[in-house]
Amino acid sequence: MDETRRNLLKAASALLVNQWAAARLGAFTGESSTEAGRKIVIVTCGGIRREDTFSETGIHNISHLYRDLLPQSSFYPFVSNAGVTSHYNTISSILTGNWQRVDDWGKTRPQSPTLSEYLRKQMGLRQDQTWVISSNKALTSKIGASSVRDFGPAYGANVIFPKQLLINAVVHAAAEGRAVHSTDRSTMQPEIESMLNRDNYDGLGWSVSGADSSLNPIMLGTMQQAIENLVRTNAPVTGDEFTYLVATEVMRRFAPSLLTITFSDMEVAHFGSYSLHMAGIRTVDRLVYELWNQLQSLPAYKDKTTLFVLPEFGRDLDGSNTNGFFNHRQNTASTRVTWMMCLGDAVRKAQILENPIEQTDVCPTVARLFALKNLDLPGKPIPGLLL
Amino acid sequence: MNQVRINDGVVNPQMDAGQMAGYRALIERLPITMRPTLNQQLAGWESLFPFERNQLTNFLNGLASFQPSALSALTQPLKSLETKMGVEHWNFSQSGDTMENASMLARSEYYAEWRQQVQILFERVNAEARDTTAAPAKQTRLILVVLPATLPVEPMEAWQPWDRRAQVLKIEGDSRKISELLLQGNSNQPSIATVLARQQVRENFDLWLIDADEEMNRYQSAAAQQTASSLSYAMLKPFRDKFLAEVNTVPKNIEATDQTFAALRQRDWEPWLPTEFAAEPQLRNFLVNLFLSGNGALIFSNAFVEWATAEALRRARPRVIVARFGLRSKPKLFTSIAIFENQQRVNMLPDVDDPEGSAIDTLILARYIWLAASRYPEQEQTCCLCISEHLNSAYMIVPDSIALPGDPAHAVTPEELAAWVSAYLAA
Repeated sequence: MDETRRNLLKAASALLVNQWAAARLGAFTGESSTEAGRKIVIVTCGGIRREDTFSETGIHNISHLYRDLLPQSSFYPFVSNAGVTSHYNTISSILTGNWQRVDDWGKTRPQSPTLSEYLRKQMGLRQDQTWVISSNKALTSKIGASSVRDFGPAYGANVIFPKQLLINAVVHAAAEGRAVHSTDRSTMQPEIESMLNRDNYDGLGWSVSGADSSLNPIMLGTMQQAIENLVRTNAPVTGDEFTYLVATEVMRRFAPSLLTITFSDMEVAHFGSYSLHMAGIRTVDRLVYELWNQLQSLPAYKDKTTLFVLPEFGRDLDGSNTNGFFNHRQNTASTRVTWMMCLGDAVRKAQILENPIEQTDVCPTVARLFALKNLDLPGKPIPGLLL
Repeated sequence: MNQVRINDGVVNPQMDAGQMAGYRALIERLPITMRPTLNQQLAGWESLFPFERNQLTNFLNGLASFQPSALSALTQPLKSLETKMGVEHWNFSQSGDTMENASMLARSEYYAEWRQQVQILFERVNAEARDTTAAPAKQTRLILVVLPATLPVEPMEAWQPWDRRAQVLKIEGDSRKISELLLQGNSNQPSIATVLARQQVRENFDLWLIDADEEMNRYQSAAAQQTASSLSYAMLKPFRDKFLAEVNTVPKNIEATDQTFAALRQRDWEPWLPTEFAAEPQLRNFLVNLFLSGNGALIFSNAFVEWATAEALRRARPRVIVARFGLRSKPKLFTSIAIFENQQRVNMLPDVDDPEGSAIDTLILARYIWLAASRYPEQEQTCCLCISEHLNSAYMIVPDSIALPGDPAHAVTPEELAAWVSAYLAA
């Protein structure tokens, strides 16, 4: 991506995060401790088959993961998703440590407490210390906290869908019969302006409970200008790139103790373009590498962060009656068995641990890293880490 | 009960109210989760293809042949499983398949077991089915896949093998002539439609032409125009655009999506469809269901070609299917983040072709067509011929008992290959 366009994306990211901070100013007063000391970043990245990544036929798609990060990681080549292989259920299963079987489109909250809730309740962390930043349209802000009575939104994570902001603008423009033209400065701006003025934070993909939804006029104007510049560039902008930049802005501003990022460019596979699916995998490979480098460059994260990277599931087998790589519905190893890479603070030594583990083992592992007590979780901490 | 009359392998397209009621009563005796698909097929009887009508009546007649006690014993394991799953408490549609049905089943912790039990039950009923049709002769079949010259595909030898029998033949001459000869014919070479007509093929749905562009329409023979089921992604543009706009109004809610999809199924789409669809309720129904089933058919022409071909193979089991891929455009700004949108509408800048990306896409999608065909018993009599016009070569799979049209070490001419295909189909 060229620097001009990336700078625009960065500007838009900073504005989004500033907006969040402005809206929440004062809401943090009276909250207790600031951070947990250790930092955990969990990256989930859609449906990716092992054969397209960590295999002889796939390593050319993941040069950074394979060449730069694998040699310093604890790598788990057999990680199983034994739950519902949909995005919302899988990500909420990872975050709760229990296989979730709720509405696939995020109509209901997870039925077990999330890591954010455990962490904030036991350690008294402020709301700005746990975040979910997602590219995935299948999620909703309900993934931030469970429906469990003693936990719930009071201890939930902030949930942001940066990509949704841009999508909403495009869809709204299309629905109104207008189109984006790079030479017409006025086409998209009214859509975004209208959207910002019309919607509350949920319209922007924000999960903010009880906050005033009006936008500061100065911030609104700046945001409009930056996004207008962004949308007028005439080259593909990937949603994951924007998600990544918002995540790094959040890290710089708030240094959250627990940050979950979900990437989803590779989900273009649902539309049957294998080349674009591969491009999505290569984008994630690059962004994870940049994220790792970013973690090393930020003092708040350097030497105290453990990064978990795992696909949510694989994709269906070629020749399946579910149309192969298009989908992720099959009850086969191609769909259910994937991999995970751990980097950083908790890694005892670079190694490959071939014993099978489950995605729900991530939650008790992170709980152990934060020294959380008395959690009733079915999984067990992952071997090979300093816990 | 009255059973649907089957004459000489062809199910009567009419079903009277008494027969329908009898079948519905039979379906009521089945476990709840088996009912939606069967009820939906009965309700849409008029829009089923002959193969589907045959399959459905065979199954239902097989079911009717069970004594009540035997049927009860057969269905008991699945009914018990449904009790454990709590199906009776679900908002589970019995009249037809819905996204909500699928979602509730997939979320059940017993989903894998449920799938297994359904499969067992179907297999047992089909095994018991008293097939009232004469066993059809094993007819030769053809899948012709065309990768046009605009697609810079890698040499076929580098492809992941589609089948142990696959061979590469070099074409001596212009390989673009092969599909033209087969579809249009000439004084020396009958078209495919003519070959099928000589065999007194009675149904339109034995010859399908599925095209990313409008190329095949250009050189169809008169016979093909009368008998072929032709689907061109390019020619369907008004329908696709309208349909996509409607689909994009769906809110993020499964129940509402089911309601919208049901309304789209009922809608009169004739104003947006090419005129030849007016007399083809089965094809209209096929298209609507194809687009509602996703898989990129509304978005990318090559996904349309692959998925339409796979669905035609599954639902109609045609004797000949010709699938022609094409170029897709590069995703524009926004459509790379909101790819479900119509990028021509959202962004007025001209489309830019993506030949390299399209070539990668079509190589895997072409293979998927053969893999889809391989799931059915008819593949034993099927010849698959994939022509790469860019490489001037053919990738060919023929039944074990059939000799290739040429020695892989030597080139064949387009005329020789077309003649071989015609002779194969005529056999």
